[in-house]
Amino acid sequence: MNFLKSLRVQETTRARLLSVSVLTIVALAISFLLPPVADSQMAGGAAITIVILGLSWLIGWSGQISLGNSGFMAVGAYAAGIWAHHHATTPLIFTFLLATVAGALSGLIIAIPSTRLRGPYLAGMTLAFSAAITPLAQNFTSVTGGEGGLFLNSLSTPSWFVHFFSGPNATIDANAQWTADLAVLVAGISFFLMANLFHSRTGRAMRLVRDNDVAAELVGINLGRTRTLAFVVAASFAGLGGALYTVINATVTPQTFPLTLSITLLTLMVLGGIGTLSGAVIGGIIYAFSANLVDHINALTGVNPTSNLGANMQGIIFGALLILTMIFAPRGIAGMGAAVQRLRKTRRSALASSSAVD
Amino acid sequence: MGDEPTTEATLELTDVSVRFGGLLALNNISFGVLPNQIVGLIGPNGAGKTTAFNVACGFQKPSSGTVRFPALGKGALKPSELAKAGVARTLQGVGLFNNLSVLENVMSGALSRPGGGFLTSVLGLPHGLGMERGLRSEAMATLERLGIAKFAGSIPTGIPYGIQKKVSLARALMGKPKLLLLDEPASGLDESELEEFAHLITELRASMSVLLVEHNMDFVMPLVDELVVLNFGQVIATGTPSVISSNEDVLAAYLGVDE
Repeated sequence: MNFLKSLRVQETTRARLLSVSVLTIVALAISFLLPPVADSQMAGGAAITIVILGLSWLIGWSGQISLGNSGFMAVGAYAAGIWAHHHATTPLIFTFLLATVAGALSGLIIAIPSTRLRGPYLAGMTLAFSAAITPLAQNFTSVTGGEGGLFLNSLSTPSWFVHFFSGPNATIDANAQWTADLAVLVAGISFFLMANLFHSRTGRAMRLVRDNDVAAELVGINLGRTRTLAFVVAASFAGLGGALYTVINATVTPQTFPLTLSITLLTLMVLGGIGTLSGAVIGGIIYAFSANLVDHINALTGVNPTSNLGANMQGIIFGALLILTMIFAPRGIAGMGAAVQRLRKTRRSALASSSAVD
Repeated sequence: MGDEPTTEATLELTDVSVRFGGLLALNNISFGVLPNQIVGLIGPNGAGKTTAFNVACGFQKPSSGTVRFPALGKGALKPSELAKAGVARTLQGVGLFNNLSVLENVMSGALSRPGGGFLTSVLGLPHGLGMERGLRSEAMATLERLGIAKFAGSIPTGIPYGIQKKVSLARALMGKPKLLLLDEPASGLDESELEEFAHLITELRASMSVLLVEHNMDFVMPLVDELVVLNFGQVIATGTPSVISSNEDVLAAYLGVDE
């Protein structure tokens, strides 16, 4: 666990890069052990992790609430999808960059009016944005493919990767493996960049604005610009996560990004721990395997999964978990870990001082 | 101190009026702070001291009149431009960032200095990290200078009020200001802390001008070079403490009321 400490403040970028690489390689190794279904879930979880990183930055660090992140995801997803639809041979990295920039631009557009708003008004404004995105995608049929969305055969697993796993004794599903590994890799890079941001001067500026805006201005912070930057960063991460969705599924449809996804993102962020890097990963993992949890609980309680209750079980469980987290662990699962560590430390020092008295 | 007519003031308010609807909060006030001078702004509650401070800081636009920083080569400034121009202000109470450590609070005082942009931050480029390290040791040195280094890792809400005020001063000093605006520096401090603060401010005058708003006359009188007395939004007297303490208008308006 010691290398995890290097993710914190005073370490060098190189140390941070090393520990993120180790984490990424571990995740990649795990993906090879998992069955294809779990690999696909892992890919989705990795994409969501990227979005939560951005959301955690926006809410936890800059102190601005957003219910618009499913909208930013949709922008990135459609940017990637529309581009790939017309330019089949573009390298993936370019598609991802394009989607990130598209997300950032949408964040900028939303931020300009939003950064003048606070609390519930800001939530309402961003909510309106994510509510508007789905109908937009449904109606501009010639560009977005309308209700049915776009199918992107060009985004299938690259042949070199398929070849790699297509021996006579191949036991690995190349498609699921590819999506999982690609998503984990992109999530790893995003994690590294966000870890840098968290502990940088820019990250500190965000927390100053969150804690005390008058004092922040007096140390030379332009409030509007800083709040806008927070949105742009969050939206670009959401855009990248959305693009990853498109690539993983080789399709993009309006139904993938409903308003409720924004709420789910918020829930996952709170469960993991607001404003923490590890919280975003925990949120992603919960998201990835929440379907299994739901199946399990349906089986345990004997609820028919196709019934009205069974179909809404995820929402019910997330809601209950959210309430429990808010009451018992307001800093989320990541915060619980930190609290346990602190407790052990104080107990150790208490023991040390009592033995010193002896 | 620095009374030659050629010296440019660090801060200069000229004929400043502020009107809130029908209320005239400041009525044509003028005063200045010269380099390395300590000026006290006093007056009874509601006299317009805080409004005058807010006008100087750009939080409040004057209805008429001008604010300038001649010695800094600046006209009126927005709040977010102050730090870069060399003006630091502490807030009434303490105004710290409550979820950041004391050390980070102090480091944030130097945010207006160049330290690399967004790319430096997101990529964690070495020169940005180097500057952060430099800043951290400088903040530590400032805390040591004020004798509160052992609180570096604490959260502001968990430490004594007097220490919080020092942290707030340390943060202001990190901006290497030429003009320091102190909003009620003495409030909530005990005898020994007051003495310490007065000593600190006297030391600071070697490198900056100080303008302070204060209620505590025992604290202000021996400390300042000049007093500006406000009442009902007007400057009723300006002068050295000894002149002011024998001014009848002032005694009637302020000192007399205070027994």
